[in-house]
Amino acid sequence: MYRLLEFIRRSYVTLLFVVFEVVAIGIYARSTYYTQATILARANAVTGGLAGTITDIGGYFSLAKENRALTERVAELEQRLAFYDGMVDTSREVDISELQYEFMPARVVSSSINRSRNFITLNKGLRDGVMNDMAVLSPSGEAVGYILDCSERYSVAISILNTSFRTGCKIKGDGYSGSIEWNGGSPYEVTMCELSKYAQIEVGAEVVTTGVSHYFPSDMRIGWVESFELDDSKTYYNAKVRLAADFSNLYNVVLVKYIDREEVVGLEQRAKGMVY
Amino acid sequence: MYRVGYYILLFVVAALLQIFFFNTLSLWVYFAPMVYTTFVLLLPLNASSIVVLLSGLVMGVTMDLTMGTAGLNTIATLAMAYLRRPMLNLTLGADIVRDGGVPTPMRMGRRQFWQYLTIMVILHGVLFFGFEAFTTAYFGHLFLRFMVSTLASILFVRLLAALFTPKLSMR
Repeated sequence: MYRLLEFIRRSYVTLLFVVFEVVAIGIYARSTYYTQATILARANAVTGGLAGTITDIGGYFSLAKENRALTERVAELEQRLAFYDGMVDTSREVDISELQYEFMPARVVSSSINRSRNFITLNKGLRDGVMNDMAVLSPSGEAVGYILDCSERYSVAISILNTSFRTGCKIKGDGYSGSIEWNGGSPYEVTMCELSKYAQIEVGAEVVTTGVSHYFPSDMRIGWVESFELDDSKTYYNAKVRLAADFSNLYNVVLVKYIDREEVVGLEQRAKGMVY
Repeated sequence: MYRVGYYILLFVVAALLQIFFFNTLSLWVYFAPMVYTTFVLLLPLNASSIVVLLSGLVMGVTMDLTMGTAGLNTIATLAMAYLRRPMLNLTLGADIVRDGGVPTPMRMGRRQFWQYLTIMVILHGVLFFGFEAFTTAYFGHLFLRFMVSTLASILFVRLLAALFTPKLSMR
């Protein structure tokens, strides 16, 4: 007993180090990107205000560029609106409850591009109607990520530049779908995996969301094909895609809520339950 | 006890710089300097091992809570704090370490100070980026991120140390 106590007295720092380290490794090994987003969402209650002010200062210097992008986007939308106005029967009033998506602007409080798991913190939370799984788009309508967790005043989104991010994608105008993922390298480039060999792919082709994942509306721009090759089994294409959104210069975003998401996902889960 | 107030200030400044400046820098995907380690590195040479270990724990947990990294910073900072004394003994000799003082180029010697700083930051970086990736699938990216960030960390830690150490007594 005396020897044991003497051993503990002499090596208690080492013992404590081993205990702390094992606990830390255990917590980290069990954590997922959801855990990390949840911690960030809680931390923002303390750090969100100051982080927002600092980002505002940084954002001030890119206002001119952002204004130009917004003006171009407004012009593009006006043009599309005029096109649809000419097509639809204007005598019939549009019922707002028929719309599938709700849009909401938000400001980036903090974001990173220099980790393997990057997140984006936004200044809108539960009290503003933000919910998990809402899509996050750039002001020009390009896919950026989707919401993982919300606190009262803030929300945390997983960025496309996160090695755990996956979403469906396709070549615009084509039916075959693949999956987008980031390898932790360039913040301007992602990989489109498992696109059928029958897809109409070419360098410069626009890559858009499929809408199948229920996070993003369909046909939201992700980027453009830079290069592509067939995989070893010669059944799928893997392509390098140049991202449309500039993550190093992201100060404002648009949140998109898929109104029927809960109903659709609930139905799908019930159907799966019937099959298994 | 060495200027406790200054060490509390160093803790706060290092943590705030990391959270609100270096974590939000979107300059380059490979550029992620870790300056908060300055606090552990500048603790007095003869600070007891348990104080250094607990300081590392508090700093690591603070960083994990604000960065959402769920233990990653704690893993790297604890190891750095635990191995600090053996590293100092190896670089300076146990007698000089027992004499105490603040780790500065004047107290340790320019070469020994850089040696100490570089090895400790590299150790922190190996654990941080190794555990962060948890795979060798993209070893090229991982290695480049480690190299660029560690080099930047060494320079920024040296800069922060140069700003703070004149305020702390030499011995």
